[in-house]
Amino acid sequence: MPSNFSHRDAAPKPESKFSKQTAQIQNFFSIPAPIKTLFDFVPVLVYPPNELPQRAPKPSRIPTLYVFSREEDIAAGRPSFNPGCLKWQAFLNIAGVKHRLAASSNHASPSGQLPFLLPAADTSNTNLLPVRSNQLVKYAEDHGGYVEESTSMRYEAYRSLLDHRIRNAWLYTLYLEPSNFSAVAYPLYVASASSNPLVRASLSHQLRSAAEAELLKNSSIIDIDDLYSEADKAFEALSILLGDDQWFFGCDKPTLFDASIFAYTHLLLDEKMGWKEQKLCRTLKRRENLVKHRKRLVVAYFGG
Amino acid sequence: MVLELHVWGPAFSLASIDPHCLAAIAYLQQAVPRGKWALIATSDPALSPTNELPALRNGDIWIGGFRNIFYYLAQYSSGEWVLDAGLPELEGADCIAFSSFVESHGQPLIDLSLYVSSVNYTTTTRPIYNTIQSFPLPYLTPPAVRAAAKERTAHLGLSSLDLDTQDGEPQGDASFIPASLRKRATTVTSLIAQNPEITARIKLDVLAKDFFGPLQKLKGKKRYLLSNTTFSSLDCLALGYLSLMLVPELPQLWLAQTMRKKYPELCAWTEELGQQIFGGPADIDDAFLTTRTEGTTSKGGKSSLPWEVPHTGGMIGVGGVFLGNIADSIPVVGQLRRNTRMRQHGGKAPGDELQSSNWQSITTIGSLVAGVGMFLGYMFHQGFISLPENPEPERNGTGLDGYGDAGAALSIYANHMDAGSQQHRGVEAHGAPVAEVDIDVGSNGVKVTEIVS
Repeated sequence: MPSNFSHRDAAPKPESKFSKQTAQIQNFFSIPAPIKTLFDFVPVLVYPPNELPQRAPKPSRIPTLYVFSREEDIAAGRPSFNPGCLKWQAFLNIAGVKHRLAASSNHASPSGQLPFLLPAADTSNTNLLPVRSNQLVKYAEDHGGYVEESTSMRYEAYRSLLDHRIRNAWLYTLYLEPSNFSAVAYPLYVASASSNPLVRASLSHQLRSAAEAELLKNSSIIDIDDLYSEADKAFEALSILLGDDQWFFGCDKPTLFDASIFAYTHLLLDEKMGWKEQKLCRTLKRRENLVKHRKRLVVAYFGG
Repeated sequence: MVLELHVWGPAFSLASIDPHCLAAIAYLQQAVPRGKWALIATSDPALSPTNELPALRNGDIWIGGFRNIFYYLAQYSSGEWVLDAGLPELEGADCIAFSSFVESHGQPLIDLSLYVSSVNYTTTTRPIYNTIQSFPLPYLTPPAVRAAAKERTAHLGLSSLDLDTQDGEPQGDASFIPASLRKRATTVTSLIAQNPEITARIKLDVLAKDFFGPLQKLKGKKRYLLSNTTFSSLDCLALGYLSLMLVPELPQLWLAQTMRKKYPELCAWTEELGQQIFGGPADIDDAFLTTRTEGTTSKGGKSSLPWEVPHTGGMIGVGGVFLGNIADSIPVVGQLRRNTRMRQHGGKAPGDELQSSNWQSITTIGSLVAGVGMFLGYMFHQGFISLPENPEPERNGTGLDGYGDAGAALSIYANHMDAGSQQHRGVEAHGAPVAEVDIDVGSNGVKVTEIVS
């Protein structure tokens, strides 16, 4: 080694045990000398920014709705397999807002949540900001869509059935029911995201613990019988509310409320989902008018 | 057999501090004949199989959660003690829907008003737990309840009510667009956004309006929420939530104020029905049947609810609950305890997991072990941990020698990487002039010697 280290060898400092330990800890956090030497040799050069890759989405003439979906379902415009996405997909179809679909994941979304809509590029405004799902109603209104909502006092109450009772049962039956998780959720959300077994294991653990945390927010324990019986009662109440009408709240065209309930009923009744534990599906099948309601929407807005 | 209803203790002159407990009390008061049930202010959720109060005890059978209690009562009495039996179809559906509505929209309001708001929590809510629980428990329960309340209301973006979290940094994610891409424009929204109190107040008013509005409309001119004649389980639930919003006297009174100002009919209904069902204000002396200091005259609460003295199990019982609560709050142990609870209740054996989830847990454990192993290996390599029988040899030089074979290889690479820099290094090491200055202070003045190598 070069001789510039020699003077340290010549006069070794008397080290106490403590100072030795602190020196070691400092050593641990500092950059190791060989790497530092390497870095010293590398000149700092700033390259111009890269071109966007060929497959990067180009501004399109039609707005794009980013949803959870399979690639083969995108072109055909088939329903998404995620209830949150399906609700807004159905809403845009009902409102008559032309859009195309793109299969995506939460990581693509600026808010971390799907769905979101990227507006069309040829509109006069240069403001091409993504539209989050809670702004989609306003977007549809602004772009000439058909938007009408019931002002019934029952609206909020029955919506809470969907957003809490049925959603909780859905979370349990999809993520925490082991047979359904491996048969339905695993291929849709985990296997499609990565082929690495470590990433898959961590992803499925994340999904399951997120569902569990969501359910434990409102009760101190996950009471499975209670979840299913409350969902059963919720479907019963919705079925009574619909009665013999075509659409909810006696409207002559379907509304956002019909889209929200369709998001769950369609996925529970869709045979392609391949449910293993069918408890929730069975409770829904008992309400005939809800089954017919779903059928009507599939025929009218998803091409049968 | 006397049924025992175990609840959280009384607060704010109401029979319980928890809306579900109030609902259960109202239900039993209306459905179950007097003398067949007793009310006990245990304030210990560990008693119940679902780890929540209210809980109903019938001999050795424990039923937890107010919905389960309603079902059990119907079963136990062969359909006699049921409130919702006489409802027509549409009213029955309304009962289900509005029960869900009251729970999902009322809970955040109670959470915000009693627990998240720092002023209300520290001056009013937390001290109440000292009166309803025995000694070491109030150290654990209120913070746990508050943490749960904060989690439930986190999505509302109202953490400005909670002064503990304000550490100078602006709260509230007004936009998901990065700051560098945002347009700077002074709008009404941006002006309001600068003042978190006003924003919070506006949001709270909207939340309160969303809750009270549909309820007031549903009630209309009827005597009860659903009909003129039938007192339903929805009335019980609504009474529980509305009383806890209206009655408490808090430093921050926004919820009760909004309710009194905009929904006077709902207030009158709540007060009247509360008087009728709970029979006037209740306090801690009613619940524990202790004698009052100023005499035995109660404010009228004693006669209407069948209170019984709670058995806390003495020092050992309280100590056990205390340790259980502590165990629940330790990260890994608490998770295990909670998992066991879910499994027991779901009736699942630990062995019926699927192949795939077994495989997943094996990979998870494997990666964990590998990670820990790599970290330990690095520590060994760095010399933080050394085996006792093999003390670390003295290092003679710093630099690359200290990294063993890998270091030697790297040093060769580094030394030969760039000939120009190598030369430069050589100049630094040998060629650069080094000046040494010796200063001698002696009797004959100052002598300076300069040696340049």
